[in-house]
Amino acid sequence: MKFSEGFSLARCLGFEEGNKMIRFDIPSEEATLLRETAERFVADRYGLAQRAAMLADETLAQKNWADMAELGWLAAPLPEALGGLGLQPVQITGLLEALGAGLVLEPVSAVMQCAATLARALPEAQAQDTLDPILSGARIDVMAEGARGKPITARSDDGTLKLSGTSPLVMGGNIAATFWVVAERDGAEVLCPVPATAAQVERYRLLDGQPVARVVFDGVTVREADTIADIGAALRFGADMGRVAILAESAGVIDALYRATLDYVKLREQFGRPIGRFQAVQHRMADMFIAREEARSMLQLAAEAQESKDDAFRARLISAARVKISDNARKVQRDAVQLHGGMGVTDELPVGHMVKRLLVLAQLGGNRQQHLERFNAAA
Amino acid sequence: MSDLLNSAEDAAFRAEIRDFVAKTLHPETREKVALGAPLAREDFARWQRSLYEKGWVAPAWPAEHGGPGWSARERLIADEEMFRLHTPPLPGFGLKMIGPILMRFGSEAQRTRFLPRILSGEDWWCQGFSEPGAGSDLASLRMRAVRCEGGWKLSGSKTWTTYAQYANWIFCLVRTDPEVKKQEGISMMLVDMASPGVSRRPIRLADGTEEVNEIFLDDVFVPDDMVVGEVNKGWTYAKALLEHERLGIGGVGRSKHLLQRVRIMAEAAGRADDPAIVAALAGFEIDVMAIEAFTLRLLAAAEAGERIGAETSLLKVRGTEVQQGLTELMLDVAGPAMLPERESPCAEEPFENVAYQFLNWRKLSIYGGSNEIQRGILAGQVLGL
Repeated sequence: MKFSEGFSLARCLGFEEGNKMIRFDIPSEEATLLRETAERFVADRYGLAQRAAMLADETLAQKNWADMAELGWLAAPLPEALGGLGLQPVQITGLLEALGAGLVLEPVSAVMQCAATLARALPEAQAQDTLDPILSGARIDVMAEGARGKPITARSDDGTLKLSGTSPLVMGGNIAATFWVVAERDGAEVLCPVPATAAQVERYRLLDGQPVARVVFDGVTVREADTIADIGAALRFGADMGRVAILAESAGVIDALYRATLDYVKLREQFGRPIGRFQAVQHRMADMFIAREEARSMLQLAAEAQESKDDAFRARLISAARVKISDNARKVQRDAVQLHGGMGVTDELPVGHMVKRLLVLAQLGGNRQQHLERFNAAA
Repeated sequence: MSDLLNSAEDAAFRAEIRDFVAKTLHPETREKVALGAPLAREDFARWQRSLYEKGWVAPAWPAEHGGPGWSARERLIADEEMFRLHTPPLPGFGLKMIGPILMRFGSEAQRTRFLPRILSGEDWWCQGFSEPGAGSDLASLRMRAVRCEGGWKLSGSKTWTTYAQYANWIFCLVRTDPEVKKQEGISMMLVDMASPGVSRRPIRLADGTEEVNEIFLDDVFVPDDMVVGEVNKGWTYAKALLEHERLGIGGVGRSKHLLQRVRIMAEAAGRADDPAIVAALAGFEIDVMAIEAFTLRLLAAAEAGERIGAETSLLKVRGTEVQQGLTELMLDVAGPAMLPERESPCAEEPFENVAYQFLNWRKLSIYGGSNEIQRGILAGQVLGL
């Protein structure tokens, strides 16, 4: 039996909007096209050597951005009324899995999350104007939040808001034009657009080489008229959208590690035969296959749940998926390196780079422990 | 725990099942299942009669043979609800094994004679596959079948024969041709347990029960019309079992039942808020969700007309790992309260059966193709290793 790629869990399960229900959609032609295009893109532009060159000169990666926008990737999840393609979450996981598998360096997920949040938070006319340049790739906007337990704060001061606080890790923060800062004012969240030129942007790299930024907002002022209040629902939706995107990227890397390892054990010979002929290796590979399929299955659940209006149901399924995918990522990281032997700990094969990417992804949007707590709290 | 299959039709179907079970399940049986206590023949027989009268006894059988005509989806829901409501899972040797084999490979006479009696429970079947020297390497089985006037004479022994003490028929894999490749000399035969030369030795298990047996056949006559299909094709028929009704093999319903029991135990032990137990339970709940999600992907593929193959081995492996893991968690939750011997004056519910179930359920990863065999199937048939 073969699953179609990006196969949907709940095609026949029935769905009513807002209900606690899992829907089933066969990937549309658009979704299949998106995934295939992304796979070709990655094959053409993200070979190991090409990626190393981009890492050495981070401006190279930015050259891809316009093409990514042109291909409709950034617009994929947004409603058509706002210039998006109107695809359901389950229709874009294939695209994000392919980008994850390719270890791309552009902040696609982060910008998608920002656009999805703005689409819900801003009044419609303003949303249109704000989103147009983002979706066309003309400018990069991302969200910026404080660390856990250390929110960015805003104080009213004669028609302006004065910000204080730091975003320790902003994906895409190295090249963003605008930070949409989530600040706390009098116990409520308010969204403040801050041009990168107004903030203190400290660029750095993550352990997998991805360029990011730490952004300090101390003393930055924003006109109160430019801020948006009453954003709780939009933030929650955007955050869950971002999490599902991270999960899709993670599932993509898990799949890539599994496939790379399967190829390797079929080729690598010891004791006069491919190591994949040994039972100890076969069983370990079977477990990697199981881990990959479970990850894909949970990704699909999470994507199906993403648009549910039942907050507890959505939180529970997405957090469950985060926990399971973290666990299985860990297993696959371990097994892939082990079965590659010494080559697995070098920098010369994609394996090491994929392992590092999974270490990064596991910390974004809340880690395993936080999501286990959220899962229990939403019971 | 959320049910993932819950469209309006699903909910109505669930309600129908709940209603039926509430009206018909014997309270004593429900109590035993809820507590994980051993079940007697009467628990199974009584429940089978109720299901039979309702027409639900064989969920996966086609309507022409007396099945309810449920879809794969309805079967999954029914399975889940039945476990949730503490109905006893009926032994599958007739309903899930020899019944479907006869439908596909048996003679018209065999179908007419046996299928109705499997449904009604008049016949109780047991399975004669494993032998003392043939477990995971089943094809090396040695029970000898020698040609004689009008049939065959069988000699040898079978083992791990579950509920043979209740059975009046046994379906056996036997060696009809010792000269050819081992898989090619095997036939499947139907043996009346009352035949002269059949004897049984119960095997006492570590949990104190005697649910399995060793069966000895000493020159037992089997007439030609009790051979299934063709002589020397038995291996093919046995393998076909692997393709029948495997979507439920992940045991999602059973695992949800176990999760519920662990929660009840944690309450009873005053440890419902113990962070270690809360975290462990959540972990298992998520594990079950992943198995369910994978099952639903397979279901969708099956409903779209795809053939389901060795992927179900994933369900067997993960399903049994999770179920066994939950019996281990029960040990941790119960603590010393699980120590008194079963039925001793100091034994207390809900902990009385915990250790026994841990012991008994080690079998899950051993029977039906051990988990090592399942991983081998995945590696060979899916991964191409």
